[in-house]
Amino acid sequence: MGNIVILGSILLPILGGVLLFGMNLQSDRARNWFCECVACVTTFFVWAAILTGPYEAVTVYSFARSFTVSFHVDGMSMMFAGMVSLMWPLVLLYAFEYMEHARHKNGFFGFFLMTYGVTLGIAFSASMTTLYVFFEMLTLVTIPLVSHYQDHESMYAGRIYAAYTIGGAAVALIAVVMTTMQGSSLFSFGGVDYRNVSAGLMQWIYLLGFFGFGVKAAVFPLYRWLPLASVAPTPVTALLHAVAVVNSGVFAIVRLTYYTYSPDALRGTWVQAVCLLTAAFTLTYEAVLGVRERHFKKRLAYSTVSNLSYMLFGILLMSPVGMTAGVAHMLFHGITKISLFMCAGAFMHSTGNSYIYEINGAGKRMPVTFALFTLNGFSLMGIPLFCGFVSKWNLFTAGASDGTWVGLTGMVCLAVGAFFCAIYTMSISIRAFFPFGGTDRYRTSTASDPGALMLAPILVFTAADLLFGLFPGPVMTFIGNIASGLI
Amino acid sequence: MLILILVFAPFLFAALSYAAGKKKESLRDHLVLFFTMAELFAAVVLFVTVIRNGAAAGPGIGRVFTAGISFTTDGFRAVYALVTALMWAFTTWFSMEYFREERRGLNHYYAFVLMTLGATEGVMLSGDLMTTFLFFEILSLTSFTWVIHEETPGAVRAAYTYLFVAVIGGLVLFMGLVLLQSSLGTLSFGELKSALEASGEGQRGRILAAGVCILLGFGAKAGMFPVHIWLPKAHPVAPSPGSALLSGVLTKVGIYGILMTTLQVFAGDETFGWIVLILGTVTMFLGALLALFSVNLKRTLACSSMSQIGFILVGTGMMVLLTCAGDMEGAAETLGGAMLHMVNHSMLKLCLFCAAGVVVMNLHELELNKIRGFGRNKLLFKAAFFLGLVGISGVPLFNGYASKTLLHEGIVMGAEHLAGCAGILHAIEWIFLISGGCTFAYMLKLFICLFVEKNEDPEKQKRYDGMTACMNAGSSIVVFGTSLLFPVLGQKPVFGWLAGFMTGEREVLHHFRPLSWECISGGLISLGIGAFLYLVLIRRVLMKDGRYVNLWPEKLDLEDLLYRPLLTRWLPGAGGAVARFLDGFFTRPFFTRDLFSCLKGLARFLEGLFTLPLFTKWIPLCFAVIGRALETSVDAFVVLMRRTMVREKTAAGKKSAGAGQKLLRTTEEALSPVVGNFSFALMLSCIGIVVILGVLVLFIL
Repeated sequence: MGNIVILGSILLPILGGVLLFGMNLQSDRARNWFCECVACVTTFFVWAAILTGPYEAVTVYSFARSFTVSFHVDGMSMMFAGMVSLMWPLVLLYAFEYMEHARHKNGFFGFFLMTYGVTLGIAFSASMTTLYVFFEMLTLVTIPLVSHYQDHESMYAGRIYAAYTIGGAAVALIAVVMTTMQGSSLFSFGGVDYRNVSAGLMQWIYLLGFFGFGVKAAVFPLYRWLPLASVAPTPVTALLHAVAVVNSGVFAIVRLTYYTYSPDALRGTWVQAVCLLTAAFTLTYEAVLGVRERHFKKRLAYSTVSNLSYMLFGILLMSPVGMTAGVAHMLFHGITKISLFMCAGAFMHSTGNSYIYEINGAGKRMPVTFALFTLNGFSLMGIPLFCGFVSKWNLFTAGASDGTWVGLTGMVCLAVGAFFCAIYTMSISIRAFFPFGGTDRYRTSTASDPGALMLAPILVFTAADLLFGLFPGPVMTFIGNIASGLI
Repeated sequence: MLILILVFAPFLFAALSYAAGKKKESLRDHLVLFFTMAELFAAVVLFVTVIRNGAAAGPGIGRVFTAGISFTTDGFRAVYALVTALMWAFTTWFSMEYFREERRGLNHYYAFVLMTLGATEGVMLSGDLMTTFLFFEILSLTSFTWVIHEETPGAVRAAYTYLFVAVIGGLVLFMGLVLLQSSLGTLSFGELKSALEASGEGQRGRILAAGVCILLGFGAKAGMFPVHIWLPKAHPVAPSPGSALLSGVLTKVGIYGILMTTLQVFAGDETFGWIVLILGTVTMFLGALLALFSVNLKRTLACSSMSQIGFILVGTGMMVLLTCAGDMEGAAETLGGAMLHMVNHSMLKLCLFCAAGVVVMNLHELELNKIRGFGRNKLLFKAAFFLGLVGISGVPLFNGYASKTLLHEGIVMGAEHLAGCAGILHAIEWIFLISGGCTFAYMLKLFICLFVEKNEDPEKQKRYDGMTACMNAGSSIVVFGTSLLFPVLGQKPVFGWLAGFMTGEREVLHHFRPLSWECISGGLISLGIGAFLYLVLIRRVLMKDGRYVNLWPEKLDLEDLLYRPLLTRWLPGAGGAVARFLDGFFTRPFFTRDLFSCLKGLARFLEGLFTLPLFTKWIPLCFAVIGRALETSVDAFVVLMRRTMVREKTAAGKKSAGAGQKLLRTTEEALSPVVGNFSFALMLSCIGIVVILGVLVLFIL
C-alpha cells in the first residue's frame, strides 16, 4: 500500500507530463481535462498516503553502503505534500484560463505536471541523497517554465536561475555526501550528534548545506534569481516561486537541521548565529527592496524572499516552538502568497499592465480581484482574523522566548520587516481603490474581473486563509506534534 | 449571548445594509438607522443587567486563535458599551440629514460604519488583550475609510497618515503583547494580576518594555503625544458624524487599552506611572495650545480632543503614582475622575462635532472668518453650543467640572504623598490649570465667533440670518438633546453613582465635595486664566484687523518635520544606500563579474593550457594513429586471408596488372562488402570501448 501510493504519486505526474509531450494534443479542452485528471488522481494518491500514513522508509536503490534512494511518509512529508497537493489542481484551473492565448502549451503543461511529481518526490524522500536527486530534478524541470515566453528577459532569467540553483545544489552536495558518510543515512527526528565525530568540520559542513539549499530559499546574497524569475507566466510564479520551489528550499533546510543534524548540538554555536543573522538581515533588507520595487510581481517576489527568511528564522531558532512557527509560516504564507500572485496575474491578464503606478484606480474596474488582494494583503501584514497573524504571532513569541541576543535581534528585524511589509502591500490596495485626484487610469477602460476559472482558486485560497486564521488549532497542534518529533 | 449579539450583529447588519443599498438608497438609510437603534436597545439591556447582577465574565468563543476569544462585563465596560451604541445611534441619525446632498460612496461608508461599531463593542467588552487586539486592528482598518471618504487631496494625505500611524501602532502593540505573553504567560484580564505576582524580579525590565510598547500602540489611537500626528489632520477632513465618532469613541478605544493594562499590570510600577504622566501632560498642553491657535472649527475641536485625552492620561498616571504611594482611596478617586472624564468627553464631542456638522452642511465651510456670525439668531443651536462650552470648560455644576476637579485633586494628593517630587507635581498642577484655562479660551473663541460677532461681509450675514431652519427635527434632538445631558452629569448624585458603578467601588466619591471652596477655587483659577488668555492672547495677538489669523508656524509640525522625512526620505535613503552599496559593490559584481570572470579566467587558463589542445590535437592524433594502424593491420589481415583462402581470384588478377596496383585493387574489392557495412563500424567502436575500459580497469582499480 505504502509503496504504491508513494511511488504512484511521484511517478504519475512525471509520466503524465512525458505523455503530454508525446501526444502533442492540439485541442485545449482535451489537454485541460488530461492535466486536471492527472493532477487530481495524484492528489488522491497523496492524500491516501497521508491518511493511511505514516510509513517507514522504503529503499528503492542503494549504493556504496549508506547512499540510498528511499521514500517515506512522516509528519513533515505529510505537511509539505498535503499543502502542495491541494494547490496544484487549483492552480492548474487558473493556468487554463491564464495561458489561453499562450504558445507551446503542451510543453508548458507537460513541465508543469512533471514539477508536481518532482516536488512530491522531495516531500516523500527519506534520505539526503534522495532529496538531493529530486532537488536537482526540480531545477531542471522548472528552467523551461521560467523561460517559457522565450523573449530576451525570460531567457536571461532562466539562465540566472539555472546558474544560481545548480551552483547552490553543487555546494549542498558536499553537505549531503559528508553527512551521509558520517552516519546519517535515513532521516530521523533529532538527527545525528556530530559532536562525537568532528564538531568543527561538521559545523562548516552545515554552513555549506544551509547556503547550498538556501539558494532555493533565497537567503541573502543568493536571492537575485527569484525577483528575476517573476517574468515567468503567473501560474509558475504563484505556485513555484511562492510555494513549491522556494518551500522545497526551506523544507530541505528543515530536513538538514532537524532530521540530519541534531538541533540540540547546533543550538548556541557560531554557525547558528551566522545563519540566524543572515535570515534576520534578509527579511528586513528584502522588505525594504520590496518597497523600492515598482514592478507588481517583482514586489511580491521580494516579499516572498523576505517571508522565506521569516520561516528560516523560526526554523533556525532550533527549538520546538521555533520550528512550529517556521513550518506554520511555510503553510500560511504559501496560501496567502499564492492568492496574492494570482490576483496580480489577474490584473496583468485583464489590463496588460504590470507596474505599480499603473494600478491607480484599477480596483473600481476589478473590485473582486482587488478586494481579495486586500484581504490577503491583511494576512501578509499579520492582521488578526487571517492566518498570517497566527504564524507571525508564533514567530514573535518564539523569538521572544528564545532568550538569546540573536533571538531578540531577530525579533526587532521581524518588526521592522513587518512594517515595510505593511507599506508595500497597503500602498497597492490604496492605489487600486482610492486613486489620488486625477490619476485614475481606468476611468474609461473596459478591464474587468477575470473569469470564474481564475477567480475560483483565489476565492478558495482566501477562504482557507480566513479559516486557518480563525481556527488554527488543529493545524497548529499537528505542526506542534511534528516539531516535538511525535510524527 | 447579549454580548455576542452586540459585537457580531453589526457585521451582519453591514452586509445587509450594503445589499439593501445596492437596491434602494432610502431603504438602506432606514435600515442603518434601525440597526443602530436596535444596537442601542441591546446596549441598554446589557447596562441594566450589569446594574442588577454586577460584573460577570461573558461568553467566550473557544478555538478561535487556539486560545479562544473571550468577553467580560463590568460597570466600566457596560457604560462604555452603552456610550458607544448611543454615539453610533445619534451620529447615524444625524447622518441622515448631513448626507442629504453629498451621496457618493455612502453604501461603503455605512457598511464600514456598522463594522466599526461591532469592532468597537468588541474592544469595549473584551475579556483578554488578544481579543482587544483583534477588534482594535479591525476598527483601525475599517475607520480608515471614513477619513478618506471625501477623497480630496487633503483627505487622502490625512488618511495615509492615519493608516500608517494605525499600522505602526498596531505593530508596536503587537510587540508589546508578545513580550507580555512571553513573560507572564497569559493575556486574560482576569489572570494578569496573579501572573504578575507569580513572576520573578528578573522579568521587571521586560514587562516594563512591554508596557511602553502597549502604551505607544494604544496611545497611537488615543492621540497621545508623540503619536498624535494623525488626529488634528484626520478629524477635520472626515465627515462630521465620522469626526464625532473618531473623537468621541475611537480615541477612547486607545484609552480603554491603556487603562485596562495599567490597572491589571502596571498599577504598582512607578516608572510606568511617570511615563504616562509626563506624556499625558505634554499631550494635554500641546493639544490646548494647538487648539488656541487654530482658525478652523473642526481642527480646534480635534486639538481639543487631544488635550482632553491628555487630561485622562494625567489622571491615569496619577492613579499609578498614588497606588505606589499607598493611597488607595486617592487612587480610586483619581481613577473615577479619569473614567468620568472619558464619558463626559465622549458626550461633549458628540454634541460639538454634530454642531460643527450643522455648520458644514449649511455653509460647506469651516474657516472661522467665513462662518463667523452663522448662529446669531438660532436659539436652539446656540443653547446647545453654550452647554457644550460650559461643560467642557469646567464651569461648576456642569459635567466637565466634576471630572476635571477630581483629576486636579489627584495631582494635589500626589504632591502631598510624593514629597520628593513635589516640585514636578506642582509644575504639572499649574500646566493642568493653564490647559484648563486654554480650554475655556478656545471654546469662548469659537462661541463668540459663531454666535456673537457679525460676519465682516454684511451680505453673508444677511444670508446666514435667513437660514433659520439650519437643522431638521432629528438633528436638533441629537445636538440639543445631548447637550441637556451636561448639567445632569454635573450633579453629585449622578456622577457619584456613575463613578462608583464604573470603578466597582460604590463609595468611591464619598469624600468628594465638589462645591467646597478648595474645589471651586481650582475651577475659578482655571476659568480666570481662560478669560485672561481670551482677552489678551486671542483678542490682541491672534486677531489682526478684526480677522482671526493663524500664527502657528506652518513648518512646526511633527509629522512634516520628523515622521514623514524619517519614513519617506531618511530611512529609505539609508536603506537605499546600504542596498546600493551591497548591490553595487558586493552582490551583483560578485555574481555577474567577479565570480564569473574568475571562473571564466580559470576555464580559459585550463582550456589554453590543457583542455583545448588535448581535445583538438592530441586525442584526435592518437585516434588517427591508432585508427590508421588498425586499418592497415585489418587490411593486411583481410588480404592475407583472401590470398590464402581464395586462390583463384588472386591468380586471375595477377595476369592483368602490376603488383602494387593489384594489391590495392584486391584490398578494395575484398573490403567493399565489409567496410560498406555499418555494423562493421559499430563492431570496431565496441572493440575500442572494450579496450579502453579494459585499460581503465587494469590501471585504475
